[in-house]
Amino acid sequence: MKSSRVAKRYARALLGLSDDRAQLETWGAELERLARVADAPEVARGLASPEVSHEARIAAMAKIAERLESSYPLRSLAVVVARHGRIADLAAVSQSYQDQLDLLLGRARATLTFAREPGAQDTEAVVRGLEAMVRKTVIATVKVDQSLLGGVVAELEGKIYDGSLATRLGEAARRLAG
Amino acid sequence: MLRSVISMGRASMARVQRSIVRSPAVSAAMIGAALLAPVSAWCAEAGGAEAEGGSWLSLLFYIINFALFIWILMRYAAPMARKFFADRAGGIRETFTRAETALKQAQDLANRAAERMSRLGAEKQQLRADLDAETGYIANRIRELAREAADRIVRDTRLTGAAITEAAQRQVRAQLAEATGRLARDLVAQNFSDDDQTRLLRGFEERLAQEARR
Repeated sequence: MKSSRVAKRYARALLGLSDDRAQLETWGAELERLARVADAPEVARGLASPEVSHEARIAAMAKIAERLESSYPLRSLAVVVARHGRIADLAAVSQSYQDQLDLLLGRARATLTFAREPGAQDTEAVVRGLEAMVRKTVIATVKVDQSLLGGVVAELEGKIYDGSLATRLGEAARRLAG
Repeated sequence: MLRSVISMGRASMARVQRSIVRSPAVSAAMIGAALLAPVSAWCAEAGGAEAEGGSWLSLLFYIINFALFIWILMRYAAPMARKFFADRAGGIRETFTRAETALKQAQDLANRAAERMSRLGAEKQQLRADLDAETGYIANRIRELAREAADRIVRDTRLTGAAITEAAQRQVRAQLAEATGRLARDLVAQNFSDDDQTRLLRGFEERLAQEARR
C-alpha cells in the first residue's frame, strides 16, 4: 500500500513535467525500459546488495539511464529514485505512470487472449468493439491460449469479457450436472 | 354368635356356683344331710332293737351325742371348710376372671385381626388397582415411545434414502457432464476450424456491440 502510494507520487511528478502528450508517451516508454532493466534479477540483486554503497547505487542507476539513452528527466528520476532507496519500486512507478497517462489521454489497456493466433483484422475488430463499449482508445496486448479451444477472452479495466468455447462447454457441463 | 352363647353359659354357671358356696345354710344342710344318712341307718337299726326291746333314753343319748357332734363340727370344722370353699371359690373366680380377660383380649385380637384382614383386602384391592393403572400408563407410554421411535426411524430412513438417491443422481450427472464435456472438448479440438473461430469472434464482437448500446 505504501509502495503504491509512493509510486503514484513519483509518476504524478514525472507527468507534471510536461503537457506534451508525445513527450509523455516517450517518457512512459523510457520509464518502462528503465524499470525492466532495474527489475532484472541480476541487476536488482546487485543494486540491493549491502556491499554496494549508497553512492555507488546512485551512480549505477545514473549509468543505466545513460546507457539506455534516456531523456534528462528520466535520468534525473533514476538518480532521485536511487537516492531515496526506491529502486525496487521502479516497476510500480512505471505501471502507475502508464495508468495515469492512459487516464490523462483517455486510453484503456486490454489483454486479448485468443484460442488461435489471430489475424490483424480479428484483433482490430475486437479492439473496436471494446473501444465502442468503454468509449476510450484501447491499447491491446495479444496472447494465445489453446486451452480456450476457440473464441477470445478480453480483460479490460478489471473486467473479463469471456467469449471462449472452453467456457461455454464448461457452462454446458455445469448445467448438465445440475 | 356361638362363642357369645358359650361365654354367657359359663358366666351363669359361675354365678350359681358362687351363690351356693356363699350360703352358710346350704352348707350346713349339705353337711347335715351327709351326716344324717348313717344316723337314720343307725336309728333304723335301733328301732329294730327296740322292737326287740329298745328305750327312749338311748334315743336321747344318741340325739345329744349327735348334737354335740354337730356342734363340734360347726365349731371347728365349719370355719376350715368355709375357708377352703371360699378360697376355692376365690380361685375359681380369679380363674374365670382371667379366662374372661383372656377371652376378651382374644376377641379384641380376633376383631382387630378381622378388621385388619378386611383393611388388608381393601389395601390389596387398592394396590392392585394402582398397579393396574401404573402398568397401563407405562404400557401406553412404552407404546407411544415405540410408535414415535418407529415413525422417526421411518422418517430418517426416508430422508436418508432420498439423500442417498439425490447424491447418487448428482454424482451420475456430474460424471455424465464431465464425460460429455471431455468428449465435447476432444471433438471440438479435432474438428474446430478457422471458420468456427471467425464465427465465434463475430459473436463476441456482437456481444461487445450490445454492451456498448446499453
